Amino acid sequence: MNQEKLKIGIYELTGCAGDALLILDCEKELVDIFNAADIQSFLMAKSDNIGGELDVALVEGSVTTEREIEELKDIRKRAKLVVAIGLCATVGGIQARFLDRKEWEENYKKVYGDVKMTHTHAVQSKPIDAYIEVDYYLPGCPIGKEQFLNFFTRFLKGNPPEKSQNPVCVTCKYNENDCLLKKGILCLGPVTADGCGSVCINHNLPCVGCWGPLDVANRTSEFYLLQEKGYDIEEIKKKMANYAGTKNAGFFEKLGKEKR
Amino acid sequence: MKKITIDHLARVEGNGGVTATIDGKVVTDVKFNIFEGPRLIERLTVGRTPEEDVSIAPRICAICSISHKNAVIRAMENALSVTVPQKVYLARELMHMGEMIESHSLHVYYLALPDYVGFPNAIAMASKFAFEVKIALEMKEFGNHVMQVLSGRYIHGENPVIGGFGKYPSKEQLLWVKSRAIQFMPFVFKTVNLFCELNYPDCPEEDTLYACCEPGDNAYGFWGDEILLSSGEKIFRDDYKKLTNEFVVSHSYAKRSRYNGKPYSVGALARINNLGERLEGEAGKSYKKYFNERWKRNPLFHNAAQALEILYCFERILRLVDEMLQFPEDPPRVTYATKEGKGTGLVEAPRGLLIHHYEITNGLVDHVDIVTPTAQNAEDIERYCHLAAQKLLDEGKENEIRDRMELVVRAFDPCISCSAHLAQVQKAPKQNWKEKLDKIRSKGTPVFVGVGNQNRSDDALGINLAQKMREQGIDNTWLETELKEEGGPLGNRNDQPLIFLDALDFQEEPGKVTLLPLEYVFRQASLSHRFAPFIQILKNGEQLKNSYLLGVQPQSVKEGGNLSLRVREALDKVLEWIAN
Repeated sequence: MNQEKLKIGIYELTGCAGDALLILDCEKELVDIFNAADIQSFLMAKSDNIGGELDVALVEGSVTTEREIEELKDIRKRAKLVVAIGLCATVGGIQARFLDRKEWEENYKKVYGDVKMTHTHAVQSKPIDAYIEVDYYLPGCPIGKEQFLNFFTRFLKGNPPEKSQNPVCVTCKYNENDCLLKKGILCLGPVTADGCGSVCINHNLPCVGCWGPLDVANRTSEFYLLQEKGYDIEEIKKKMANYAGTKNAGFFEKLGKEKR
Repeated sequence: MKKITIDHLARVEGNGGVTATIDGKVVTDVKFNIFEGPRLIERLTVGRTPEEDVSIAPRICAICSISHKNAVIRAMENALSVTVPQKVYLARELMHMGEMIESHSLHVYYLALPDYVGFPNAIAMASKFAFEVKIALEMKEFGNHVMQVLSGRYIHGENPVIGGFGKYPSKEQLLWVKSRAIQFMPFVFKTVNLFCELNYPDCPEEDTLYACCEPGDNAYGFWGDEILLSSGEKIFRDDYKKLTNEFVVSHSYAKRSRYNGKPYSVGALARINNLGERLEGEAGKSYKKYFNERWKRNPLFHNAAQALEILYCFERILRLVDEMLQFPEDPPRVTYATKEGKGTGLVEAPRGLLIHHYEITNGLVDHVDIVTPTAQNAEDIERYCHLAAQKLLDEGKENEIRDRMELVVRAFDPCISCSAHLAQVQKAPKQNWKEKLDKIRSKGTPVFVGVGNQNRSDDALGINLAQKMREQGIDNTWLETELKEEGGPLGNRNDQPLIFLDALDFQEEPGKVTLLPLEYVFRQASLSHRFAPFIQILKNGEQLKNSYLLGVQPQSVKEGGNLSLRVREALDKVLEWIAN
């Protein structure tokens, strides 16, 4: 047990701080986490934070200022592995709605007017892999506790974490919920990454898609399925875009032009 | 010139920092920065359905996600004229109690207490306060569980919706909540004693205005349809802009608020100050025991106020569970066909007054305004930091400034994700000073007041210009020194615009001229001191809106010099334009 502890840093860019908070919410395990690893930086939890080399950097939040681009690049230089945690870091978050630069600029102006910012400059919200190489992704808005602890312990033991390949529907079936799509309720379960425990459907509510789109899901097929069921095309597109960030870019343009 | 910077404020939720600038014996400027980038939440919620916004808007803040959820739902239900049955209100209040307990116990024990007992963080503090750290975590976890039972999960639960809930907690779950709450009671009393008896430093202390929701029925509570100010004034929910008047500052993506030109505070301390008399039971007894005059003036008592509220929440949970059990039937979700409307929802988030406002046309949201507590507190955070920094500097304790400022910022419990905040922008139009001056003059003959220090080179320019204007026979021109306490022309000028003439460092070439609304200038902490006595006189907000500053960039404001050449040339130009 003389093995040196893993050096870990937890960083927050722009977002709701929910992923860092969720780590703090691992109440029972928190002291163990702090004991098992050498937490070098965790702004929400401690004030004696230091820079320096890291084994793993967990980064939450999307990149929205030039200052954050610099900070992120610095983290990448110092860390052997970088993990994007939460929807904002993995897809850019809900704030990555305005994918078109012009549209983003117009909306930025509507909020901040012409006031010239002196502390840093804003950029369009993007996931962290727009600027640096990312080794692992842990999606969710916010990340799930079980999912995080699972992930964290695998790191501690030196086993690379596995990526979830399932949509929300798989867990939903385990939970024996009635399929809402069959009842005529627009649910994004089939195209959304698993990890939440199908919590919305457990509460008789449709999945809003907050774990972000599942890479391997057949979104095109889901789209047509919903359309056949009589849902409004614009409504489907909007719902699918709400939590998809930059990962849906280009998808909707191609939609309807492919061969079926 | 020396700067003390706290770059990343550790142990506040989100990313922020505070910078004090010290020039010799004077703290010239304090800026509370928010590094958190802009998210444009108020724009990306536009064009969506009310239901989608109920899911998206709370993503502003993880720590206040329940408060945001309750605020957006209240606003939408007001806009769409939805009335829900009693059980829904009870369930929402119970959910809110969970968030208050979670947030307050995290804050007082984990973020604030380490400062007072000399540890860098709560984990290190566990070596001496093992019991407190352990039970505080359990208390926080209990708050989380209450939120999970009602909202579906710890953070960003989707169970609460317009018209009710997807699913209600079972009787067993409710009874579990109650029995757990009872188990915590001894520790809750201990918490109140600990934080109400902490030795809070007496710096900074100064009066402020407190704002919170008016819960009605002479009760304590966390929402209402009116805003209550410590002055006794009340503001109806749809008129919230009378209080908040938001503006943008160049050093932060979080907007700012002032009421009648003055900063105000929101949060637990505001609630205890405004509503504490209404507390009943054990919380009422503790209030009577501990509350004193210092609570009205010292922001560090936020932590004591939070401890009192933890007690209030636990007592309230016991009653809420009993009341909910009187409604064994789960009400179906209230449906609605309304597609148009405007609505405002007022809620007390753990860190203070939270306002959501939505306008819906044709089933889609087309205007959103969200005012967060941290945005409202930012001005008071800067003011109290400035006070503390100056006092410590006067006492020769410069090396304590950094820690004290951190203590102050942390007491306000700023949740910096709140910088997501956005609204209609008020901004200075891109006009040159001549155009602006003509526009002002078209509304009425202005009163001019020359301001400055005649012994400090270019700082004399305001006085100098006013004197020259008099020589040219321009009426209504005054010198700063001629104004009496009651303000003379300032107080009773009806619709006449008021223009101060002064040196203004706006980072331009010496001799450049600018004309800015006084409100805008007043945001700059260093300048506000000079104008503070005038602002006092301009009690009425309308008068403040009609006040301006004509500023000239000085070359130097050193003691003993004369006006520089470039400034003299600039003054001639200004004089010529005004005289015509």
